[in-house]
Amino acid sequence: MNNEHLIRCHICETVNYDNALTSECRRCHTKIRASLRCSYNKTLAFLITAIILYIPANLYPILITKQFGMNSESTILGGIIHLWELGSYPIALIILVASVVVPLLKFLLITYLLITSKHQTHSSSLDKHKLLYITESIGPWSMVDVFVVVILSVLIHFSGIQIYPGTAATAFALMVFFTMLSALSFDTRLIVNHNKKSNYKKGKALHAS
Amino acid sequence: MIKEHELDKLIICKKCHTLYEKVPLTKNEKAFCNECNVLLYQQDADMLNKSLALVITAGISLFIAFNFSIININIQGLEQSLTLTSLFMVLAEHEQYVVGLLFLFIIVIFPISILLSTFVLLFFMKIGKAPYLTKRLLILLAHLKPWNMVDIFFISLLVSMVKLFDIANIELGIAFVAFLFMLILDIIITKNLSFHELWLLHAQTYGYKDE
Repeated sequence: MNNEHLIRCHICETVNYDNALTSECRRCHTKIRASLRCSYNKTLAFLITAIILYIPANLYPILITKQFGMNSESTILGGIIHLWELGSYPIALIILVASVVVPLLKFLLITYLLITSKHQTHSSSLDKHKLLYITESIGPWSMVDVFVVVILSVLIHFSGIQIYPGTAATAFALMVFFTMLSALSFDTRLIVNHNKKSNYKKGKALHAS
Repeated sequence: MIKEHELDKLIICKKCHTLYEKVPLTKNEKAFCNECNVLLYQQDADMLNKSLALVITAGISLFIAFNFSIININIQGLEQSLTLTSLFMVLAEHEQYVVGLLFLFIIVIFPISILLSTFVLLFFMKIGKAPYLTKRLLILLAHLKPWNMVDIFFISLLVSMVKLFDIANIELGIAFVAFLFMLILDIIITKNLSFHELWLLHAQTYGYKDE
């Protein structure tokens, strides 16, 4: 049995035979993405969009505090530093991880996956599958910062003092949206295709009750 | 070329894409991946009933979460409460339309459509009618799954509460509890409801073979 030509339908999870004749999944009839180049280009395009959006997201203020006519603005990094100085370390860490570490990690992971799909490397496809899974699952967590800003702007909404989201909130929310699209449009066959030495194992599933 | 009924005996792990040959399970047993310990498939005869009950409960908490205040704050006599309507009103007032639109989809439309389509799906599969509709719903749910952000919204609520802790009196609303409840139910439903089983059950219920 040649395991290299078996792929998993990303919608209904069934095992499909990957051949040139049919581009439909045999169970749910969703199009299993026909062209690998199309998937590669889509992932790259969404990734570039997200990276471009990440620049205004960091430069513009995410939170504007209007106190008795005075405006004070804070960017994402400024906000984290301010929280750290105030001594709320856990919150500063959560925001740091959610809005700096996670997006950058996603950019790096997707770039790495895209590069290794074109060039032969020593990394095993097993590891790359795991990396893609991590990329997909950490994606939405960067929304925390935008959510917090919006919640604060609703609660601190008085005539004397107001908090409202700045331009960076829009840029950041869109950035998260596009990184998620980028990770979702990455076809798993891009991982397997260039690793001729397949890592597929045939064996019985581990039993546990 | 491998025959289709042989393909049905195989399963690929969702995390590491290792290929496995399925072994038959008895009641309440689970099969895990050897490489990464992710659940591959499980055997649960009561899955439909259990999930249906959980989905209805989650629907009720969703209704409460959307209609009552989530957090009330009090700063030196000034009061303000966070509800879903006040959230969109404030966003519109500050002209944050893109964020508002994303919020509308992530917090309102996606959770409602996920719960509603899960309910309709389970209901029709239980009475064994409407094969085409249930199939479309199974596909729709697979598309909606990555966009479920109730858990992240709840963490954000906690973070903003800690931020406001020094300057304001915070009072938790009914909807806050409902959100927490919804989050817990969501975790249990995701654990209970395996799409792999649902597709197999779909084929069984409507009596067709993948051939």
